[in-house]
Amino acid sequence: MINKYHAHKLVLSITASILAGCGAQAYEVALTGINTNLPSLDFHGFASQGLLASSQYNYLADNTKSGSLKFFEAGVNVAMDPFPHTHITAQGFMFDVGNVGQYDPVLDYGLIDYNINDAFNFRAGRIIRPEGIYNAIQSVDLARTSVILPQGLYDSRWRDFTASLDGGSVYGDIGLGKGGDLSYEIYAGMVNLAQNGGVARWLESSLNSPYTKYYGVNGFPEVGGQLWWNTPLEGFRVGVAGYQAFRFSYDYAAYNPFYPLNNHFAPLTGCVDATEGMLSLEYVRKNWTFQAENRIQYYDAHNESGGQTVGSHTYSTPEAYYVGAAYRFNKWFETGTYFTEAYTDLNKINGPTTYQSDWALSLRFDPKPWWVLKVEGHYNHGTGLLNDSFSNPPANQNGDGWFMLAVKTTFSF
Amino acid sequence: MKSFILKLGLFIAVLGVGSLRARALDGAVVIANSSVPADSLSADALKDIYTANTKYWDGGQSIIIAVMPDQTDAAIQQVSGMDANTFKTFWKRLMFSGRGKQPKSADDTASLVALVASTKGAIAIVPADATLSGVKKIEIK
Repeated sequence: MINKYHAHKLVLSITASILAGCGAQAYEVALTGINTNLPSLDFHGFASQGLLASSQYNYLADNTKSGSLKFFEAGVNVAMDPFPHTHITAQGFMFDVGNVGQYDPVLDYGLIDYNINDAFNFRAGRIIRPEGIYNAIQSVDLARTSVILPQGLYDSRWRDFTASLDGGSVYGDIGLGKGGDLSYEIYAGMVNLAQNGGVARWLESSLNSPYTKYYGVNGFPEVGGQLWWNTPLEGFRVGVAGYQAFRFSYDYAAYNPFYPLNNHFAPLTGCVDATEGMLSLEYVRKNWTFQAENRIQYYDAHNESGGQTVGSHTYSTPEAYYVGAAYRFNKWFETGTYFTEAYTDLNKINGPTTYQSDWALSLRFDPKPWWVLKVEGHYNHGTGLLNDSFSNPPANQNGDGWFMLAVKTTFSF
Repeated sequence: MKSFILKLGLFIAVLGVGSLRARALDGAVVIANSSVPADSLSADALKDIYTANTKYWDGGQSIIIAVMPDQTDAAIQQVSGMDANTFKTFWKRLMFSGRGKQPKSADDTASLVALVASTKGAIAIVPADATLSGVKKIEIK
């Protein structure tokens, strides 16, 4: 049996061998051999391996102070157009960021897309959620300048919460004449959470105490949408997005000396209704790209026992934003920078664990069309996004600045 | 005088739009697979294809964009508003998020024409002096 923690090396080796041997072209497989008129299948894929090293805290992976290679992602994508107006595609994906993901293969998306006209179309299946500039392409390292996206908006560990859902969407593009055009997507479905995903790990860490025991997370329904206005100014677009998550829940137990069973640990369900809004600006002009995004969330949380509310509701309002710019010097070299701040609750900013800021500087090299290499430095203040009390004891956290280095290489075909 | 300025402005605007369109296809022509139902496209419709706003021909056949890296970059930039790297990244984003099919590429003009000739629904921009065989020329209005 192959050790799961060595599986990624096998995948990376196979991918690299395929790329080297076949000139990194996409694959097209005709189905004529099996006596069908179906069109060909297109295959694409990618594999990334990164290194994370930090100066004071363990961030994203659990031992980055010593340098960590637990920063991997790979995907294989297949697509075909079997009938008029119809596109079918799926992507298998595996990743590992610290103790999140752990190389478990998942269906990133698998959907059927039916086109009625440019303005009105359907997708159904496991669909990727549109949200801001990067949510739909969080997994695709080669589609951006930076290694690590602004984590207050695009947390690498929370992909199972943010990336996709099982349901459907309607989308389209509406021309506005001289006013540019509007593209929209409205979706609804069920979000399925992994027990080794970022949300689960965060809850596990947060409920790590002698008085609580964490059991697991549950899926939840969600509706949302994204609207982009592609303005008449070439390359400038403005977007707004939002979602409503209904009753995201997790199971745990809390010590209660009056509870007679389970060693006095009473079972509870934590329930959260989450609302989010995001504003995005992007301007691409010649070799420059400028971006800015702001996201604000509103959480309404309470506990239940046996279907009855226990205690009172609590409310929080996390917010994050970033501003960034990138410049491409030539075909093989690009650099970018961004500044971002995140607050765990706008109404309770009181100490280093309630915020985190990050100045990032990225260098991106494209030696070959199928090979990307990135080196990136981060200068952080605060610890509000560490989300890991196991490897970062809260008592040791302070407001001093700290550094992080991220290196990543990606192969694609 | 006011009328003259108005006419002069209108003339310059028309000239400007005309030269923009002329520049979009300056030294290049648009070709398509013979299965493509269109014989002509407006400049806006061509832009919608290269920016993924239009993904199907009338009748529902998928549009497959074919490119020749380096040699058709300038023409594609004039049509789509994106330089070569932005265009490549744009389509990779769509493809890896299940929202589009990545353009197919060819190394030289003859290969690009052959690719379009053999791929149903394909469209490409090729140099105006390219030898066209087995493809149809699309008029840009």
